[in-house]
Amino acid sequence: MSPRPPTLREKKRYLLARIEPDDVIPEQKDLYYAISDAVTSLWGDAEAAVVAQAVVAAEKGHVIIRCRRGAEGDLALAISTITSCRDVRITLRPVAFSGTMASLRQRIRSREPVKKVAGAEGSGGGSLGRSGEGGGTEGVETPEISIAGKKFMAVHCEGKKVNLIEKGFKNTNRLFLTSEDLEES
Amino acid sequence: MKITDACVCPYPLGDSSVRRLALEAGELGFDSIVAIDAPSGEYAGVEIIGGTLLRDRTAREVINQVKRARDKGRVISVLAGDNGFNRAVIGIKGLHCLTGIHTADKKAFDHVTAKMAADNGVVLDLDLSPIISGRGIGRQRAIHRYRDILMFAGRFGFPVTLSSHARSILEMRSVREITGLCSLVGMDEPDVEAALDSIGRVTDPRNVAVKVIR
Repeated sequence: MSPRPPTLREKKRYLLARIEPDDVIPEQKDLYYAISDAVTSLWGDAEAAVVAQAVVAAEKGHVIIRCRRGAEGDLALAISTITSCRDVRITLRPVAFSGTMASLRQRIRSREPVKKVAGAEGSGGGSLGRSGEGGGTEGVETPEISIAGKKFMAVHCEGKKVNLIEKGFKNTNRLFLTSEDLEES
Repeated sequence: MKITDACVCPYPLGDSSVRRLALEAGELGFDSIVAIDAPSGEYAGVEIIGGTLLRDRTAREVINQVKRARDKGRVISVLAGDNGFNRAVIGIKGLHCLTGIHTADKKAFDHVTAKMAADNGVVLDLDLSPIISGRGIGRQRAIHRYRDILMFAGRFGFPVTLSSHARSILEMRSVREITGLCSLVGMDEPDVEAALDSIGRVTDPRNVAVKVIR
């Protein structure tokens, strides 16, 4: 089948959204299911067919979602109701809409290199690295922080923001603090 | 105009510290937040207003708690109960906010309660968390209840405010997202702006509620 000429193609728009927390990097397919579920749950099957959402890229902590032109508002509203992706708590913060993916890719700035946690207990001069695929910090020495009798590990640090994850294999909770909180703890 | 998230629950109620919530709120477009069980202050240019949320208490206990807390500059909120409870607490001097109306009985907030709220200058808080994280019938009920309350607010003129009830930075939403979510309950942009400014107006001592008797 020959492709349609450009004038007969559907007009598309692209939404750039930032994934939070920064150290969680979900798979593109899981993001698609989460977004599809949110759109269908909020607007129903008929409206979801009009929105025609699709995840076209997930890179550098951002996701680019395609939708039909004119349905951008509905899509943005639906993605603000996303609270988890495959049982991992995330949120998607809309950044910009555009008619081309190239302009959105320009907006994805490479994130600043992660800094050392100031005042972390027992850091022992350990440095923090940016988490890799899957949110892990393989091969990176991270300081251990004790809060309310539980041991936490810093997984992401950007500016004043510090994300901690409880040490362990099961039921590992996250804490979202600032560098001042760590200095006081 | 001061854009305020009328209720956030910092650590230990949630997983984010009050400073981190303030930092995030500033990035999301808020000027201030009401933080439950946290001291008042300022961080990263965002005003933190200490709040007290009274829940699972009788009307008499609420009266005693409000008396103790009302001169401390905190925002005092009460979780809504049945109709009799709501009528009793709305009349308490020093109470700022009635919240959690979506979890209360269908008849918990009627035209009499609405009139009392307008007379006493009590703000009705619309908790957006059931719209953000709820699915199915829970979200439908919340939207229906909020539409009903906004109809009363239009008729009787009591103030309405918006809150995320965020226990984590992941549950906070930007002002633009909140405007979009409020369009689901029939609020337009000026209504949302007025609602986000309500806490600033009721906590300002210059704007005390005045009952006009004719």
